[in-house]
Amino acid sequence: MSNLLGKRYRCKVCGTEVLCTKSGDGEVMCCAEKMEQVTPRPIPSSD
Amino acid sequence: MITTELLNIASSICPERVAVSSEGIKYTYVGLSERVDRLAKSLLGLGVSKGDRVAFLQVNCSQSVETYFATATIGAIYVPLNYRAKAQELVYILNDTEANVLYIGERYIDLVNSIIDNLTLKPALISLEKRHSGMPYYEDLISSSPLGDISAELNPDDTTVLLYTAGTTGLPKGVLLSHNSFTIYILENVDPADPEAHETILISVPMYHVAGMQAMLVSIYGGRTIVMERQFQTEESMELIESEKVSRAIVVPTMLKQIIDYPDFAKRDLSSLKVITYGAAPMPIDVIRKAVELLPGVSFINAFGQTETSSTITMLGPEDHVIEGSDEEREIKLKRLSSIGKALPDIEVKVVDQDGKGLVPNKIGEIVARGARVMNEYWKGEKLDKQIIDKDGWIHTGDMGYMDADGYFYLAGRSSDMIIRSGENISPAEIEAILLSHAKIEDAAVIGIPDEEWGEQPLAIVVLAREESSSADEIIEYCRSKIASYKKPRGIIFVNELPRNPMGKVLKRELREKYENYFISTKTESGD
Repeated sequence: MSNLLGKRYRCKVCGTEVLCTKSGDGEVMCCAEKMEQVTPRPIPSSD
Repeated sequence: MITTELLNIASSICPERVAVSSEGIKYTYVGLSERVDRLAKSLLGLGVSKGDRVAFLQVNCSQSVETYFATATIGAIYVPLNYRAKAQELVYILNDTEANVLYIGERYIDLVNSIIDNLTLKPALISLEKRHSGMPYYEDLISSSPLGDISAELNPDDTTVLLYTAGTTGLPKGVLLSHNSFTIYILENVDPADPEAHETILISVPMYHVAGMQAMLVSIYGGRTIVMERQFQTEESMELIESEKVSRAIVVPTMLKQIIDYPDFAKRDLSSLKVITYGAAPMPIDVIRKAVELLPGVSFINAFGQTETSSTITMLGPEDHVIEGSDEEREIKLKRLSSIGKALPDIEVKVVDQDGKGLVPNKIGEIVARGARVMNEYWKGEKLDKQIIDKDGWIHTGDMGYMDADGYFYLAGRSSDMIIRSGENISPAEIEAILLSHAKIEDAAVIGIPDEEWGEQPLAIVVLAREESSSADEIIEYCRSKIASYKKPRGIIFVNELPRNPMGKVLKRELREKYENYFISTKTESGD
């Protein structure tokens, strides 16, 4: 699946998170693995 | 991270979404970014450089968002001024800040002209709303400044905002907050802009408060539409929620009470509201219970924090506002409704005794916090009192409380005499200094007394000079002419002498106990 605008991706190995501010056909990799898309927080932020 | 990245990120993700709506004017994220860019260029043109102070005196407006980001873009320090301050207070803060630039709303032009000769460093004045001779006009500066990259060397630890807060010694203190003070919290706790999700937030809490600044920055990162209300007005706030389909609002307890007690509340369509965050002062349990009942589709959040901690350190989430389950579960939840919640993940919070030693659950002590976003110095390097930040980096909030076995914190009064009236901190020492400047007053003490609507109200206990006579009205009016109206005493009690200990210190606890029902037995006025 290609990188999606406004979505965060997390590395399952080292925990790095990246935010996609411009989408493209590629897939972000970290620690030699595809990063997984982060789902929005279930609880709203306090502000 | 630098705060200007928050706007860059949202502008990339949702460029055409409305970023800010104020007084009928709307700017999209890309439109806002362009105006910020031009405004930053105009600041450079005025000779403003990194570390200079850019002060702003106006009620909430879209220009406050633009001016903050323009100031941050060039590495200068944004100083939102208390728009309720009187001449004497503004002179003190502007001289302390040594502002290089001052943006002024129309209603404050005469006030600023009246104090300009009292300023040690005369700032460049910029009119926000109209053209005035000898003063650049905000919109002219934007339209005449070019677009283009600005290459300022910025560090996430650089100060970006200077906020003045009531000091325990009487004079306001400038709290330095860095880019990281805000962005550490935001990256840890807030979802970024998302093309598939859109929220609209009503900001009516003042932008000179950390809650207002934090809400603005959070909202920009979240790609929300910010609806700026000049100042909270119950009816106008509800109209804005209806017309702008507001999904989020931030209130102090007094605002929430005024909304749910409003005579036409039932006629209003507030169904767009999904989240209400409240804080800045203890929430009366009856008010929040009634609000939960009257606004069933809303998730309520209690956020607790202060300027020195860059806003929120503990949070009571929506699930804790839903009172359901077995009798035992309901009892636990009802008790938790009076809690300020659990510590946020990016900050440590605990309760300590007078020696700074951590206390076991359910023991009352002072609430302290530590983390990367906690302030570490005041403006001008003013020496930090070890009672504020101890040697291990714990900031002492001045709030007494305890933590239960499940990690929920509860407030139990304050360790200082600070008065909190509807979310505004009021220093008794500041009012006492004003009272003592009155020719007829020989001695005075100011205390905070519980008030159902306002949380607390200042009450002055006054000793008149020999053979002098005066009235409560005369003294209150005298204070009103010298300080922001919300700080004036709401009652005056004349006594022959103040109770003092052998060292001469006024026994305020004794006064508070004696007059604790003053505002219950006396109907107080509500206006400011």
